[in-house]
Amino acid sequence: MNMQLQPQRTSAETALIDAFGERLSLLPGDGAVMLKRDDAIEAIKHGLPTRRIESWHYTDLRRLLTAVPDFDPAAATKAIAPIVEGSAILAILNGVSSTKMPTIEGLSVQRLSEKLTDGSIAPGLDPYGSDDAIGALNTAFVADGYFIDIADGAELEKPIELQNLQAGGQTHVRLAVRVGTGAKASVVERQTGEGGGLVSSVSQLVLGEGAEVTWLIVQEQPETATHLAQFKAHLGKNSKLTVFFMNAGGKLVRQEIVVRTTGEGADFTLRGINLLAGDTHTDVTMVLDHAVPHTTSTEVIRNVVTGKARGVFQGRINVHQYAQKTNAKMACNTLLLSDDGEFSTKPELEIFADDVICGHGATVTEIDHDHLFYLMARGVDEKTARGLLVKAFVAEVIEELDDEMIVEALEARLDDWFVAHG
Amino acid sequence: MPAVQDTIDRVRKIDVDQYKYGFQTEIAVDKAPKGLSEDIIRFISAKKDEPSWMLEWRLEAYRRWLTLDEPTWARVHYPKIDFQDIYFYAAPKSTPGPTSLSDVDPELLKVYEKLGIPLREQEILAGVQKTDASELEEVSDNVYKSGRVAVDAVFDSVSVVTTFKKELAQAGVIFCSISEAIREHPELVKKYLGSVVPTSDNYYATLNSAVFTDGSFVFVPKGVRCPMELSTYFRMNEKNTGQFERTLIIAEEGAYVSYLEGCTAPQRDENQLHAAVVELVALDDAEIKYSTVQNWYPGDAEGKGGIYNFVTKRGDCRGDRSKISWTQVETGSAITWKYPSCILRGDDSSGEFYSIAVSNGYQQVDSGTKMIHLGKNTSSRIISKGIAAGFSQNTYRGQVSAHRKATNARNFTNCDSLLIGDQCGAHTVPYMEAKNSTAQFEHEATTSKISEDQKFYVMQRGIPEEEAIALIVNGFVKDVIQQLPMEFAVEAQKLIGISLEGSVG
Amino acid sequence: MLEIRNLHARIVDDGTEIIRGLNLTVKAGEVAAIMGPNGSGKSTLSYILAGREDYEVTEGDILYNGRSILEMDPAERATSGIFLAFQYPMEIPGVATMEFLKVAMNEQRKARGEEPLKIPEFLKRVKEAAASLSMDMAMLKRPLNVGFSGGEKKRAEILQMKLLEPKLCVLDETDSGLDIDALKIVSDGVNALRAPDRAIVVITHYQRLLEHIVPDTVHVLYKGQVIKSGDKSLALDLEANGYAGVIGEAA
Repeated sequence: MNMQLQPQRTSAETALIDAFGERLSLLPGDGAVMLKRDDAIEAIKHGLPTRRIESWHYTDLRRLLTAVPDFDPAAATKAIAPIVEGSAILAILNGVSSTKMPTIEGLSVQRLSEKLTDGSIAPGLDPYGSDDAIGALNTAFVADGYFIDIADGAELEKPIELQNLQAGGQTHVRLAVRVGTGAKASVVERQTGEGGGLVSSVSQLVLGEGAEVTWLIVQEQPETATHLAQFKAHLGKNSKLTVFFMNAGGKLVRQEIVVRTTGEGADFTLRGINLLAGDTHTDVTMVLDHAVPHTTSTEVIRNVVTGKARGVFQGRINVHQYAQKTNAKMACNTLLLSDDGEFSTKPELEIFADDVICGHGATVTEIDHDHLFYLMARGVDEKTARGLLVKAFVAEVIEELDDEMIVEALEARLDDWFVAHG
Repeated sequence: MPAVQDTIDRVRKIDVDQYKYGFQTEIAVDKAPKGLSEDIIRFISAKKDEPSWMLEWRLEAYRRWLTLDEPTWARVHYPKIDFQDIYFYAAPKSTPGPTSLSDVDPELLKVYEKLGIPLREQEILAGVQKTDASELEEVSDNVYKSGRVAVDAVFDSVSVVTTFKKELAQAGVIFCSISEAIREHPELVKKYLGSVVPTSDNYYATLNSAVFTDGSFVFVPKGVRCPMELSTYFRMNEKNTGQFERTLIIAEEGAYVSYLEGCTAPQRDENQLHAAVVELVALDDAEIKYSTVQNWYPGDAEGKGGIYNFVTKRGDCRGDRSKISWTQVETGSAITWKYPSCILRGDDSSGEFYSIAVSNGYQQVDSGTKMIHLGKNTSSRIISKGIAAGFSQNTYRGQVSAHRKATNARNFTNCDSLLIGDQCGAHTVPYMEAKNSTAQFEHEATTSKISEDQKFYVMQRGIPEEEAIALIVNGFVKDVIQQLPMEFAVEAQKLIGISLEGSVG
Repeated sequence: MLEIRNLHARIVDDGTEIIRGLNLTVKAGEVAAIMGPNGSGKSTLSYILAGREDYEVTEGDILYNGRSILEMDPAERATSGIFLAFQYPMEIPGVATMEFLKVAMNEQRKARGEEPLKIPEFLKRVKEAAASLSMDMAMLKRPLNVGFSGGEKKRAEILQMKLLEPKLCVLDETDSGLDIDALKIVSDGVNALRAPDRAIVVITHYQRLLEHIVPDTVHVLYKGQVIKSGDKSLALDLEANGYAGVIGEAA
C-alpha cells in the first residue's frame, strides 16, 4: 500500500490509539475478536483517511476529527419515546445494551456483548475495504449492541426501534440483524443523545429469500457530536429492502450505506434527507453492488443546506459483469439556501455488464421562483412561502414510504427541525 | 445465442485491426539521444535557437518534475514508463520550416496524401505554392466549400509547415509554430505561456513544460474575427519518441477563432508517449472554439503497442462575456488521460465541453472536463457520449464547481454511455461542488447497451446489422457531432464508422 | 406467397412456448386478417415472421415464395420483401427520419441490383407518399419516431411501407391508439397498396379496422394455433359473440 512515511499523528489519532490501550482489558471478546480488534487499531495507526483517499474526498477525517472525548462510563441517560407508538424498544444507553428483552413472536434478541464474548460475531467484524475507517474504528472499540434474529415467515406488526443514545464520551455499538425467509419487519434506528460524544455505529443486515424490510435511520445528534455510522446489507433472492435516512443533527457526520444484492430479483430502495444547519459537516456515502442478474434499485436523496453547513453525497453504483439486466437509478437534489453553505455530490456509475439500464441525476437549485410567486400571489408572505416549499421538497421523499404511521412520525421529526431552524 | 457471441467477437476487432492510418513514413530524422536530463533540455532549447529565458523556464519545470509523482487516481493501468528510454527530440530533417511546397520533403507530402480527408493537406499545401492571394482563394474554395482552413503540421516534435500565413497576417492574426513565436513574439509568449497551465500544474504538464519541442501558436488581436479555420495536424512517426507539443491560443477582446486539431500515429509494437499541453486565453467578449479528432494508434487486438496520451488542456475565460468551447472525438490511443477544462473567471463567461469517446480492444479512456465557476453569471454545458466495446474501459470524469462569489452559476451536464459486449466497462464519475446558493447545476447520466428493440426495428427495414449499429451509434453521438466544423464532422463520422466496421456478423 | 407449416416457437430467455403448431397460408393478392384474444400469440407471430432473435423456432417452417426464411436475419428478410408495421415503432434518437428512409430504400434497391436513388427522385417519392398520408414534411426532418404521437408513429410506419414497396406486409395492431380520422387515413394508405402480387397480413384485436381494410380471409389465433379460418363474416361473428364461442367450438 502506501509506503510513504506517515506524517505526524494528529491529536485525535493519538487519543484513539491511547484509548485502545486503556480500554483493551475492558473490551469483550474471545481470541478471534481480539485479533480483529488488533488489525483494526493497526489500520487506525496508519492514519485516519484524508481527502487523498477517493472515498473520503470530501470528508478529510484526519483534518476534521479534531478532538476525541474520553470514555465516560458514569454518564447516565435513559430511553426515549419511540417515533412510532407501540414500537418494541431496544435501547443502548451510553453504549450499554439492556438485559430486558421484548417478547414478540418470531423475534429473538441477544446482547451483542455476549456475541463478542463467545466470538460468534467475529467473522462479521472485518472492515469491507482498506478505506473502511468507520468499520475499523468500530471493530477496535465495539463493546455492545444487539444481535437480532427475525424468524422465517415472521411478520412483525409494529416496528422495532433501536435507540443508540450517547451521553458524551465515546460510544461504539453494533447492530446485527438477520431476517429470515419471507419475514417482514420495520426497524427504526434512532441515533441521538446528549453532549459532544464520539459515536461509531455499525448496523449489519442480512435479508433472506423473499424477506421485506423497511429500515429507518433517524439521526438527531446534538450539534456538538461526532457521528460515524455505517449501514451494511446483503439482499437475498427476491428480497426487498427500503432504507430511509434522515440526518438532522451532529457536528461531524458520516453515514455510509453499503448494500449488495446477492440474490436474483432483489430490490433496493434508498430514500434520504439531509437537513443541514449551523457550522456542521455531513457526509452520506453509498456504495451499492449489483452483484447478480435481475436486480433493481432506486435512490433519491434530498438535501437542504442552511447556515455554514457543508454537505456531501457520494453514491456509487457498481454493476458487476455477471449482473445482467440490472436496473438502477439514483437522484440527488439539493436546495442550497445559504451562501455560506456548500454541497458536493459525486454520483458514480461503474458498469461492467452491458445489458443494463442505469442512470443518475443530480441537481443543485434554488427555490423555484414560479412556485414562490404563485404562493405569494395567493397572499402567503415570502418567508412562509419559502418555508412551505422547502419542506415540500423534502417531504416528497417521506411521502413515498407506504406505511402511514411511519410517514406521520417522520413528518413530525421534520416539523421539529423546521421549528428549530426555520 | 450464437449471433450475440459473434457480435462480440467481431466487436473485439473494431478498429484495432483496421487502423487505416497506421503506415510509417520513411523520412530522414534528426534525433537527440534517448533519455531525459538537463543536457537534453539544453540540447532541445539550443536546437530551437531559444532565448535564455526560455531555457531557464524549461529547466525550472524539469527540476520541479523530478520532485513529482505520477498521478494514479485515473482509472487507467499501464506498466511504469521508463523516461530514460524515450527520445525527447526527433525532427524530420527537412526543417527549418519550408515556406513553399518545394521545400517540403516529398515523403512528407506522401504522408499527407495518404491521410485523405482530415485536413486535406495535399490540396492545401498545393495551394501554398501559389503565392498570389486570389489564386489561393480559388484553390482553397474548391477544397472547402464551407470555408478555408489554414494548417500547421507538426511531425513528431516539430512544426514542418504552416499555410496561409500571409493572408492571416493581413488580418492581424499570428499563426505559427510555438518555436517561431518564442523567437518572433517573445513578449506575447512570455505574457501568456504557463499562465493557464502553470509549469507546476501536474506531472505530465510539468514534463511537457521542460521538454516541449513544438506546437502551434495563435494570436487573434482585439476585434478580429479570424477569417478562416485554423488547424494543426499532429503526427508521431519516429520509433520510441515522445511527442510533447505545446499549443497556446490567445483571443484578445472581441476576437474569435475556431481551431481544429487532428492526430494520428503509425502502428508500432512499443507504446509511445504523448504529453501535450494546450492553453487557451479568452479576453473580454472573445470566443475560442477548439475541436479535436484524436486518432492516435490504439494498439493491436491483444493490446500491444499504442499511444499513451496524457494531455492537459485548459481554457481560461479571463475576460467578461468570453466563451471557450471544447469539442473532442476520441477514438485512438491505448490510454487517454485528458480533461479539457474551462476556468470561468470573467463575469458572464461560458464554457462548453462536447465529447465522444470510443474505446475498443484494450483501450483505456479516462476523460472528461472541469468547469470552474469563479465569475458572476457564468454558465457551462457538458455533453459527453462514451462508447465502450471489446475489452476496453471507458470512464467519464468531470468536475463542476461554483465558488463562493460565482453568483448565478449555471451548469448542465449530460453524460451517456453505451456498451457493446459484456467484456468492457463504462464508468461515470462526476464531481459537483456548489458553494453559492444561487448556483443551479443539473446533471444526468445513463448507461445502457444498444437497444435490441432499436436494432431489430432498423434491421426490419432492410439495413444490415453492422450498418444498423453504426446508424444508431451515430444518432447517439449526434449532439456532439453537430458541434464540429463541417469538415471535421464528416471525418469524425467516418472514424466512428470505421471503428464499428466488422463489429457484427 | 406465405406458408406457415406446423410452427412451434418459444421465448429464448425462459423457454415459454408461445406458438404451438400453427398453420397458415396466405396467397399473393390476398388480405388476411389474424384475430385473437390477448396473449394468443399474435404479436409473437409477427416478430417471428420478421426474424426477431428473442424467439426460437423449435419445429415446423415458414416458407416465403416457397423458400424457408428461418435462416435469414431480419435485414435479409426485409430486403427480400417482408415488411412489419410495428405495434410500437421504436424511437431512434439522433437519426433523422429522412436519412433513415434514404438508407432503407437504397438497401432495398441494392438487394434488387439497382443503383441508389438520386436525391431529387428520392425527395419526390417521399413527398408524394407523405402527402397521401397527410403527413407534414417537417415531421420527417425530426429524429425517427422521436416525439411522434401514437398516430404519427403509425402513419410513419405506413409511409415506410409505401416507400419500401414490400411484397408481404404484416401489420401488427396498426389500429391501436388511432382516432377515427387517423384510422381512415392509415387504412386508405394500406388499401392503396393492395395489389395482385402483394399479400397483406393484418393482425388485430378488434373488428373495427376490418371495416376499413376488408380482408379476404380471417383466421382466429388462440394459444398459438389457428383454431378457425373463414371469410370476413367470421370477423363480424367474433365482434357480435366474442371469442368464447369459437374457442369453445375448437375445444
